[in-house]
Amino acid sequence: MTWIVWRQQRPVFITLAIGLVVAVAAVLVLRAAMVADLTARNLVDCAVKGLESCRGPASNDFLNAWFDKMHLAQGAVIAAPALMGVFVGAPLFAREFEQGTHALAFTQSVSRTRWMATKFVVAAVPALLFVIVFQVVVHSWLDAAGELGPLATGPFYFTTFEAQGVSPVAYTLFAYTFGMFAGALFKRTLVAMSLTLGLFIAVRFVLTGTREFLITPTRIVSDDPSKPALTDSGPLVVDSGFLDAKGAVVADSAPLMNCASRGDEPVVTDFAACYRKNGLAQSYADIIPAEQATTLHLLEASIFAGLAVLFVLGSVWAVRRQV
Amino acid sequence: MNASPVRAEGLAKHFGRLRALDDCTFELPEGSVTGLVGPNGAGKSTLLSLIAGLARPTRGEVSVHGTPVRGRMHPDVSLLTQKRPLYEQFTVREIMRAGAAMNDRWSAARAFEVLDLLAGVDPDAKVRTLSAGARTQVAIAFALGRLPKVLLLDEPLSDLDPLARDETLRIVMTEVAERGTTVLLSSHLLTDLGDVCDHLLLLDEGRVQVVGDIDEILGDHRVVVGPAEVELETDGVVVDSSHTPRQTTALVRGGSAPSGWDSTHPDLEALVMGYLRASRNRKLARQ
Repeated sequence: MTWIVWRQQRPVFITLAIGLVVAVAAVLVLRAAMVADLTARNLVDCAVKGLESCRGPASNDFLNAWFDKMHLAQGAVIAAPALMGVFVGAPLFAREFEQGTHALAFTQSVSRTRWMATKFVVAAVPALLFVIVFQVVVHSWLDAAGELGPLATGPFYFTTFEAQGVSPVAYTLFAYTFGMFAGALFKRTLVAMSLTLGLFIAVRFVLTGTREFLITPTRIVSDDPSKPALTDSGPLVVDSGFLDAKGAVVADSAPLMNCASRGDEPVVTDFAACYRKNGLAQSYADIIPAEQATTLHLLEASIFAGLAVLFVLGSVWAVRRQV
Repeated sequence: MNASPVRAEGLAKHFGRLRALDDCTFELPEGSVTGLVGPNGAGKSTLLSLIAGLARPTRGEVSVHGTPVRGRMHPDVSLLTQKRPLYEQFTVREIMRAGAAMNDRWSAARAFEVLDLLAGVDPDAKVRTLSAGARTQVAIAFALGRLPKVLLLDEPLSDLDPLARDETLRIVMTEVAERGTTVLLSSHLLTDLGDVCDHLLLLDEGRVQVVGDIDEILGDHRVVVGPAEVELETDGVVVDSSHTPRQTTALVRGGSAPSGWDSTHPDLEALVMGYLRASRNRKLARQ
């Protein structure tokens, strides 16, 4: 049975293999070119220590040349799961139903469940491998850029978060299983493909906006209300504002921040004192620390994995009712 | 156990309000070749897929060699569906390998023997390059590789040219002669059926109209022809009657020959045509 699915999926696998070889080669060439550029511009130390240590035309030119390219590579890692759902998941059952070849399998000794399970696994493995290998290669490129690349903005920057950790695999499982389910339900490859793309984008969009609520944030406080509580760009800021003398959140702080000079009053120089006088005792930020990025990855991945399980069950139901 | 190869009891399949099959009871004798006929939408394909276990009956039961069929292919049954589904991008040899992989009991020798019959099919040709006749031959070879005791063929002859049709029937008849396989085949080609079938199962609107040995069925029916102005009086059942200004022709089941009428036994084609015409007239009368 494994051989049959492998043989059926062979054109898909060959396409995936060629695509992966081309993509990996391109990323490796870009990485090598970028590393050479870093050395040529004498920025190797800067990539380790951060932009502050080497402001100047060299780092600016480097960023102009490479920053967008690296973001584009992250974008490709983010798009790969959708491609797997549309081109591997959606046609998996839809094409069989369209061409009637499911009846060929259903009229043999092999059970429908085994047929389904074999198709599911054999087609999924190369798709997942593609995403994982591509993700690792792109990450090794971004890693080489260090503090001069997108990783410098911390693990929560949205393209970084979604192209890292277990997220791409979770997105792939979600897209692949939904494609499979839509194909088994509607029995039309094109319908299943369009639905997969649409739903994938919609669900990803919604969960991108809400994933910060999955973790209870940590509150950090600055005793100087005129300074933001958080100075580091790594953690994810969920909320920020001011606390009054009792430590309660000030709901509307805008009028209390009016410390600009008016008329002939002396120019305010001590903003902290002015803020305190107005009742803003401390500034705070509710953050998710960078160390919790892995936890957030796992939490979000578990939502996508849960949806994937539902879609697998839905596919089983749809295939079993098929005549 | 001396159970019938295929036995249906009160078999029904409803799709919502549509009764594709209703209260079908029949039995196919061992080694018989049964023609399954009926108008389009009579439930022929539904019946075959119920016997194969592709669909579950709404009511009733179908059993193969005494074992009830429940949502799964009986190991002794092979079904060739109307579309003759085959993996298009496989070679013929790969199709046969797939057959071996999907079946507990599989005879590659038998499958390739069938492929070698007649003009022969190139085992290294891709399925999508095959002619309709060769494709059917591959599909039948695939079905026979399972070494079935019951062979179900859904419209095996449609879209075949006369030569391929003849050759397909020869393969089936060879199988029956060599292995005593019980065959149930649906077709619209009545003349072809007459050559190979010894039994008939006639469905209309999901119900069994006629079932049994063809010779007995033909002996039980009469085509009577008489003058148009005389009322037909018979102790049998009038299946169908048609009138011209000068004479009345009727297909009568059972009873004795009415006196004063010209009475003959119908051939298979005339019999089936009579039932099909009656079916259409019933539908028209309801509208």
